[in-house]
Amino acid sequence: MLELRRVTKSYATPQGPLRVLDGVDLSLAAGESLALMGESGSGKSTLLHLAAGLDLPDAGSIHVDGRPLADMNEAQRAALRRARLGLVFQQFHLVPSLSVADNLTLQARLAGRHDRTWCDTLLVRLGLAEMARRYPEQLSGGQQQRLAIGRALAVRPALLLADEPTGNLDESTADEVLALLLELVHDSGCALLMVTHSPRVAAPLNHCLTLAHGRLQGSTSGAP
Amino acid sequence: MIAAAAATLLSHYRRHPGQLVMLLLGLWVASALWSGVQAINASARDSYDRSAALFDAGLDRIERRDGAPLTLDTYLALRQAGVAVSPLIEGELALAGGERVTLLGIEPLTLPAASGIQASGGPDALGDFLQPPWRTRLAADTLAALDTARHGERLLDRNRQPLPPLALDASVPPGTLVTDIGVAGALLGMPDDAISRLLIAPGDPAELPAPLVRLHAEQLADPGQLSDSFHLNLTALGLLALVVGLFIVHAALSLTLEQRLGMLRTLRALGVPGTTLVALLTAELLVLGVVGALLGIVSGVWLAGQLLPDVAASLAALYSEQVGSELALPWHYWLGGLAITLGGLFSAGATTLWRAARLDVLALGQRQRWRGGLQRQLAIMAVVGAGLWLLALGLWLWLSGQPPGERLLAGFALVAIGLLAATLWLPPLLGLLLGWAVRGLRQRPLVQWALADLQLQLPRLQLAMMALLLALATNLGVGSMVGGFRLTFLDWLDQRLVAEAYVRPPTEQFEASVAWLEARDEVIDLLPTRRADATLRAAGVAAQPVGVYGITPAPRLTQHWPLLHTEQGVLEAWQAFTEGAALINEQLAIATGLGPGDRLTLSSAEGPLETAIAAVYPDYGNPRGEVTLTTTALAERFAAPPGSLGIVLAEGSDVAALGQALDRAIDLAGASLIDQQAMKQQAQAIFERTFAITRALTVLTLAVAGLALFTSLLAQGGERRAQLAPLWALGVTRGRLAGVSLVQLSLAALATALLAIPLGIALTWGLVAVINVAAFGWRLPLHVFPSQLLLALGLALAVAWLAALIPLWRLWRSRPRELLMEFSAS
Repeated sequence: MLELRRVTKSYATPQGPLRVLDGVDLSLAAGESLALMGESGSGKSTLLHLAAGLDLPDAGSIHVDGRPLADMNEAQRAALRRARLGLVFQQFHLVPSLSVADNLTLQARLAGRHDRTWCDTLLVRLGLAEMARRYPEQLSGGQQQRLAIGRALAVRPALLLADEPTGNLDESTADEVLALLLELVHDSGCALLMVTHSPRVAAPLNHCLTLAHGRLQGSTSGAP
Repeated sequence: MIAAAAATLLSHYRRHPGQLVMLLLGLWVASALWSGVQAINASARDSYDRSAALFDAGLDRIERRDGAPLTLDTYLALRQAGVAVSPLIEGELALAGGERVTLLGIEPLTLPAASGIQASGGPDALGDFLQPPWRTRLAADTLAALDTARHGERLLDRNRQPLPPLALDASVPPGTLVTDIGVAGALLGMPDDAISRLLIAPGDPAELPAPLVRLHAEQLADPGQLSDSFHLNLTALGLLALVVGLFIVHAALSLTLEQRLGMLRTLRALGVPGTTLVALLTAELLVLGVVGALLGIVSGVWLAGQLLPDVAASLAALYSEQVGSELALPWHYWLGGLAITLGGLFSAGATTLWRAARLDVLALGQRQRWRGGLQRQLAIMAVVGAGLWLLALGLWLWLSGQPPGERLLAGFALVAIGLLAATLWLPPLLGLLLGWAVRGLRQRPLVQWALADLQLQLPRLQLAMMALLLALATNLGVGSMVGGFRLTFLDWLDQRLVAEAYVRPPTEQFEASVAWLEARDEVIDLLPTRRADATLRAAGVAAQPVGVYGITPAPRLTQHWPLLHTEQGVLEAWQAFTEGAALINEQLAIATGLGPGDRLTLSSAEGPLETAIAAVYPDYGNPRGEVTLTTTALAERFAAPPGSLGIVLAEGSDVAALGQALDRAIDLAGASLIDQQAMKQQAQAIFERTFAITRALTVLTLAVAGLALFTSLLAQGGERRAQLAPLWALGVTRGRLAGVSLVQLSLAALATALLAIPLGIALTWGLVAVINVAAFGWRLPLHVFPSQLLLALGLALAVAWLAALIPLWRLWRSRPRELLMEFSAS
């Protein structure tokens, strides 16, 4: 589902180029989940952005759903993101002026893949059915993140990319949201790449990798 | 502590220089347009004051009843009879450089004591004025404009003959030279015993011989009120531009405060007292205000310098008011400009300071709830707007019961309140429309998002949209008024100028001219006119001076002459007129409430003349109430001198050839025959020039509104990227995002323009039916031009697109990395 081969990425800084990814190799199959850990500034989010086609590597190749991102132009990468990827952000990035229901279905509708039954199911499973007509600011932090997860899954993505999805939540809410996320990912059969600081959050995932000095160091298997 | 806190507060502008530019830009344009208009008004007032101080200080005039020129003999006879009259010569003098000035010849020893010219200068100056080589008094601004005719300390006339030595006198009106009466007569080439008029103090009870008539100062047409309304009109437009500019300032201040809330909380937490923070913000406003005002005043003076020649020409053509072409600005102009800009700035910043003063340190960390805050704000705007509508309705009802001429300021207040009320209703209306659209467009997710996002931007864009609404409505309203006025005026000119040619022969040549013209084959009919003054009396109307105009009711005239109201029909009205009834002009009808069927009495040389009113006619551009009778009645009852002569010609006649033949046959003393077409063109040129400044100001106001929108979009550019980045991450390309943003803004601008259309029509109605009646005494028909409505829509889109051009270009050109950074940081 996701394959990175010898991916390199550098950023220009006043002190010269800073290589944040240095020949990274990574594979993730459908239905698998992978936690990506590392210190701040280690390049976790950069890797996630590259996987989403939001940015391009300096060297190496990235294949999503079997398609090489390097061969696509921006519009094609955008179309891929709309239809095949789900993105969950630490800051939720909900549209404040759209209702809960409209926010949840936004990406699916943008992609032309709106499945009303599935979206209704998601609303129920996310515990948001009673709040469908409310607006994001009327929800708690946990509810907002659940809604962001729902938006990403509503399009039935092949790959879900989550950047610190529980980073803004208290421990118990984080556990609750994470459990729900994994349950839905499991049911939908998509692959999950999650960036996190927390070993506790990483533990339930199939695999866990640590990014340090631009390289993936060590691989451990997590939950089955 | 204070320095550190001030440096911290100001550091915001280092990070956001665009907001500082936006603030200064708002202050600059607001102050520049206001200062420009005030500079024009101040210069015009200075000119009026000089004119009034010189001659119009309430002096009565003496003229001959038969219109024949006065002579030195008349003057001497009156003096010998003990009547304290003073002679005056007035004429136009051509100078060596081609300039034309008004030359006044006076006899200062006999001028009534109140006259300004006598008082100017000391005994030496008076001696110099009366003795060879005499003096030519003029103001410095007049001298500056006559540089090409100047030779050393003297001016040269067109024959390069020197005038008496120059003496600067600030009290002399612009474009005017004053010299001894004997010198003036010689320079103007007048006969030795000629006098233009005789002046007498108003309180002087002297009895005049029968051939002479005394024109009381109050009977003379006073253009003061008219020119006042012209300046009030300019002031209103200047004020509008100031308000539109202050919208920019308000938007910028709100943005800077909102973005500094965190900083303020931190400073409070670090021990800076709230009062110190408010004082620092006030000082910041003061510094910005002074800088903005100074920039604005300097630009305003430059702008006024550019516009003043057109304004001076308009005032001269319309009201015979001489306004200098150089700016004359009193000290209070500069202080006033500073005060109004600072006042405007602090009124715009009052809410900002109030919010800063009421900050709850603990609550600052909480993000303001967007929806609740917006809904509350929109509700307040809707309620205040409704209150203003009610106030406008009350004012309108009150105005309906007031006499005309007394309600100019109230009329402007009505228009201003209506504009403000509509402006306050714009954001709630847009919010309502967007709310409906967002709920109804679920099948079009990108459109739905675009509208929802526009709703989100509403708090930031609303002030710019309000400014755009004001500017568009004013543009449309003033454009329709001017367009309607042009149509009506041209139509009226066609109806009034029915003869193919006109001539105004000297009184002594009038009969000879008539006889010569009647003998010509190509002349079908002659339409002589006469003019006189009289006092009008009627039931329920206070006695008042009116002009009496004599016309000849020949078929060519009666078929075209426009009538507004008659009692039994146009034909019957003309029949009654021919039999001795009167017509009255619209301004007299509105001022007195008289109408067809009412009776009036006019004082005349032959005793009171009582007659019925047959009809009311439109009389655009005439400042006085006027009664029209037949020319015969004027000649018989008022001993009125002959006036102009309309010449109805056979089709295909050569007007120029007829004029040349008339010139050869009769000495017209320079009064040549004028082609009707030339008269129309001249009138049209005056009309166009009159509204040149109005058009310039409305276009400038629209430009300021565009600037408000542009600066608002630019100031929130960074935040917009943060809002757009997630959508980009969800798979919408930058090109589409830029397109969507353009559509968003276009929709907002179109909605604003659609609201501006009824508002502009209402404004036109206010101008033609309230302001015009109050200022001029006559009403214009309401014209709405579909082309102008389309133009308003087009202008709204053009302004929106121009304003969006740079922000959207920046979005479209932004590198994915920048979007990623926004995306990660937000």
